[in-house]
Amino acid sequence: MKVKSYFIVLIILILTVTAGCSTSGSKTQSQSQSDKQLVIGLDDDPPQLDPQKSSAAVDRQVFQSIFNTLVDIDKNGKIIPELATSWNISKDGKTYTFNLRKNVKFQDGTAFNADAVKFNFERELNQKFGSPRLSEIGLISQVKVTNPYQVQLVLKQPFSPLLSILTDRSGMMLSPAAVKKEGAGFSNHPVGTGPYKFENRVKQDHITVTAFKDYWGKKPKVQTIVYHPYTDGNVRLTNLTSGSVDLVNTIDYKDINQVKKNPNLKVSEKAAIGFQGLTLNVKRAPLNNVKIRQAINLAIDRNAIARVIFHNGVTPANGPIPTGSWAHDSSIKVPAGDTNVARKLVADSGLKNVQFTLKIPAGSSQNQQLGQMIQSMLKKAGITVKLEQVEFGTMIQQGIDHNFDAINLGWSGRIDPDGTIYSWFATNGSNNDMGYSNPKVDQWLNQARTISARPERAQIYHKVAQQLWKDAPYIALYYPNDFKVMKKNVSGFQHYPDTMIRPESIYFK
Amino acid sequence: MEQPQLKAGPITFSKPSKKVVSRRSSKILKHKLALMGGIFVAVLILLAVFAPLIAPYSPIRQSYAEALKPPSSAHWFGTDTLGRDLFSRIIFGAQVSLKAGLISVGLALLIGVPLGMISGYFRGLWDDLIIMRVTDAMLAFPSLILALTLAAVLGPSLNHAMIAIGLVFTPNFIRLVRGEVLAQREREYVTAAKASGLKNVHIMIRHIFPNILGPIIVQATLNVAAAIIAEASLSYLGLGTQLPTPSWGAMLAEGQGYLQQAPWISIFPGLFIFVAVISINVFGDGIRDWLDPKIK
Repeated sequence: MKVKSYFIVLIILILTVTAGCSTSGSKTQSQSQSDKQLVIGLDDDPPQLDPQKSSAAVDRQVFQSIFNTLVDIDKNGKIIPELATSWNISKDGKTYTFNLRKNVKFQDGTAFNADAVKFNFERELNQKFGSPRLSEIGLISQVKVTNPYQVQLVLKQPFSPLLSILTDRSGMMLSPAAVKKEGAGFSNHPVGTGPYKFENRVKQDHITVTAFKDYWGKKPKVQTIVYHPYTDGNVRLTNLTSGSVDLVNTIDYKDINQVKKNPNLKVSEKAAIGFQGLTLNVKRAPLNNVKIRQAINLAIDRNAIARVIFHNGVTPANGPIPTGSWAHDSSIKVPAGDTNVARKLVADSGLKNVQFTLKIPAGSSQNQQLGQMIQSMLKKAGITVKLEQVEFGTMIQQGIDHNFDAINLGWSGRIDPDGTIYSWFATNGSNNDMGYSNPKVDQWLNQARTISARPERAQIYHKVAQQLWKDAPYIALYYPNDFKVMKKNVSGFQHYPDTMIRPESIYFK
Repeated sequence: MEQPQLKAGPITFSKPSKKVVSRRSSKILKHKLALMGGIFVAVLILLAVFAPLIAPYSPIRQSYAEALKPPSSAHWFGTDTLGRDLFSRIIFGAQVSLKAGLISVGLALLIGVPLGMISGYFRGLWDDLIIMRVTDAMLAFPSLILALTLAAVLGPSLNHAMIAIGLVFTPNFIRLVRGEVLAQREREYVTAAKASGLKNVHIMIRHIFPNILGPIIVQATLNVAAAIIAEASLSYLGLGTQLPTPSWGAMLAEGQGYLQQAPWISIFPGLFIFVAVISINVFGDGIRDWLDPKIK
């Protein structure tokens, strides 16, 4: 026992010390730094490489080099042509006609045309195939080939977020020939029309893609891209600072200041599309009392949280639609922790000794800090918070089962506000763990789906935001900003609001 | 030229051999270490008991303006990410660590000693074989994994962590006590007690137990150190002490991400775990030497 205890203590010490030394350590240029190879560090290993089977966001970082979508977004989130050169939406909003780009080849040499588009959508829409993307495009009832370079998508009902959704994985075009040839093996040998073609992969180690000679667009300057997964933020950053990685898709907030000071690195920051905060169970006491929920909403100082825990790498939130979205309502003031108003609300609620349990994901010191800050802020407002750390998967399940008072949970968000909030706040929505239901909100959310013009839709989303502010079923705390960090000599990187790296524009200076 | 050699001869001769010297000095060193360990343990207990009086700040007082400040006269050990005073947190953390160490070992004693005595004294099928096989099965598990599983099943809290650690350490005591009782039950005084018609329970408690107390105390001391580490490990993983109660393990975890910017957040709790465990161990060794007639 004694020897063992010494040993454990020693290991803890060694770990503590070595973890501290590692980043400041050697500066050897470990890997070749030719213009020909770009090394990208990802925050996780993509589970598989079939876009239509993908449910992990990190997959898409790799898909962006191999596949094209029918339409894409520009840096401001505006829909732009990609494999479709133009499109037209019928007056009733139910038929989308796409005119396709000609002379486009898949990386296996086969031609891209209307039949290929039809094949792709039918594969995704097939219930038996079980695509995780199905729920996004499930309203498509028919895919019609009107000529070799024109396709029509017919919807069961109007659904204005469709174009935004098609910029994601459900709009990526796979080679029908390769899908037929590889079958289930396609996810190990993906073939698309993108600027890079898949070369090889060693799981948990790397994915290599090389420039595709017959790419229809502007030829990429970098010949080879290697993706390496690093789940640990410290390890990812160390590999960047030591020179073996050129670009990373995310960093820990605590490292922001350190990275900004590093003369060898460049930081690109962009408002992203997700939100983070507290899911409140509106069906369980004491959080079924709207006054208590409002008190919680007002008592939490968002700016302090953004500053202390996230080192200003996040934007303080006033509701679920982030500041970067055209549907964001900036007329709602971000709470600055008004203890007096919150106290009064608690008193008005008529409840005594208000207390609830807040579940936070175990093992995340960031969330532990957040929980403790909230605990201390709400204590001043007369609300006692008990913190419970729960393993993330279990926590998600308890959310689905409505077995909680409050959960610290957020959402990665979508380009279109519908994708960001519909599933959360519509009655019985798939992410509506709160048990929230407001007929007015339901009506607005559905109405917004039928309108194509953004200014009109924005008006409706503002109404939703105002109502959510009053009902406070979810306490939005912050919008995570997206950080891409790269070496000084990496040029041409463009930051998109969907946080995906589109590597074809990158070159070395 | 020969004189110095002649002089040198008797002197070296009169010295004790190197072996004897090193044995003696190592014994003194060991005593000193045990003494130092004992002193540190005593200091730790005092710190824990009088924590509210000694700590300059409340351990959960957050002051965002003072976040991540290095050690200074205002904050001896610096502050953490939420601007809490680390010195105060370490002192209050000592309460948690000692409580975890003592209560979990207490639990292990409470279960382990009676079971070990029954097993060793009666040596029957049910009371010996079954108990020992269960004990063997438990010992076959890596103790931390077993504690982790128990803590995860019971739910995260300090009380549950202590129960888990206590159960994990129980087999150590069962084994030890059984072995000691096996030796004692063959002694004449037990035979005499039996012959005079005393009940088994009486013999076990009044006659055998006082004779096996020494090894139990030593084992218990050493296990307190192991229990402190186990609590720190569970809290490090979020399965022990719950926030915002300060625990050395949880503090270590909290500081891990800030090793480059603010190393003091994890260095101080790490140091205290290290020194506390070493001290209790050398102190335990000292007690063993002191109780062992062969070493005297």
